Amino acid sequence: MTPEISQVLLTEEQIRVRVRALAAEISHDYAGRDLLVVSVLKGALYFLADLTRMMDIPLAIDFMAISSYRGGKGPSGAVRLVKDLDEDLTGRHVLLVEDIIDTGLTASYLLRSLQARDPADLAVCTLLDKTARRIAHTLPIRYRGFEVPDLFLVGYGLDYRQFHRNLPYIGVIRDDFLRREPASS
Amino acid sequence: MGDRANLRFAHASEEELARILDFYGIRWEYEPRSFPLDWDEQGRVVESFSPDFYLPDLDLYLELTTLKQSLVTRKNRKLRRLRDLYPEVRVKVFYGRDFRNLLAKYDLHPIAAP
Repeated sequence: MTPEISQVLLTEEQIRVRVRALAAEISHDYAGRDLLVVSVLKGALYFLADLTRMMDIPLAIDFMAISSYRGGKGPSGAVRLVKDLDEDLTGRHVLLVEDIIDTGLTASYLLRSLQARDPADLAVCTLLDKTARRIAHTLPIRYRGFEVPDLFLVGYGLDYRQFHRNLPYIGVIRDDFLRREPASS
Repeated sequence: MGDRANLRFAHASEEELARILDFYGIRWEYEPRSFPLDWDEQGRVVESFSPDFYLPDLDLYLELTTLKQSLVTRKNRKLRRLRDLYPEVRVKVFYGRDFRNLLAKYDLHPIAAP
């Protein structure tokens, strides 16, 4: 285990088993439908790859990227699409795949953007559901992998300052590590 | 989106939360309503509670509690009373740790408790 991680919350095996179950459920529910799986860079990278490879129905994949909130450290204003979808959503069954839903503010923004494009159906699949700080409480979360406590999680796509995404498990980052200043470049 | 004109937040953490809500396009009102919690024998309100934010599109009140732990107990008591008297009112409380973790998510430094 990396020194910055205080505990492993979800092992590689636990993740694999749950993702396989989600893939089976989604494959069953969307059989015969025009499914477009939409994901947001970069956190859901590994989840999306594993989930869709375990699905046994035809599907298309597309990506979005959005700007991050920077507080006083950068231009504030509003969230914006850094990369929009290439696919047309009209009349299609769209599944937004997320790594984690926390406050729900990001998902809420994305869903508003997607809904405006007239899909036949729009739902959410999130690997991790952290409800402790949920603000947007009306999200259409149809599939969830794990409910997780209010801890700072990294690994399997989740990052801290862009690092630790490539850990094969999901771990809790040490509190004292979170409080450190970033190393000067 | 909240109206910042002539608005003075009680604490910097509230202003930060307002900026986060603005960023995601969530409309908010700052302390728009005061809920009476206790009355004297003449029926005058002697205790009330004003949640920090109201999010009209979500019908949700947000209370940000970045106070020192010694002061949180009193606020929790008020919140329990609020929920007893106004069960239809939805209030989400952000405690100090919640808000610190939220800031960490954005790689922002915690704001000192008042």
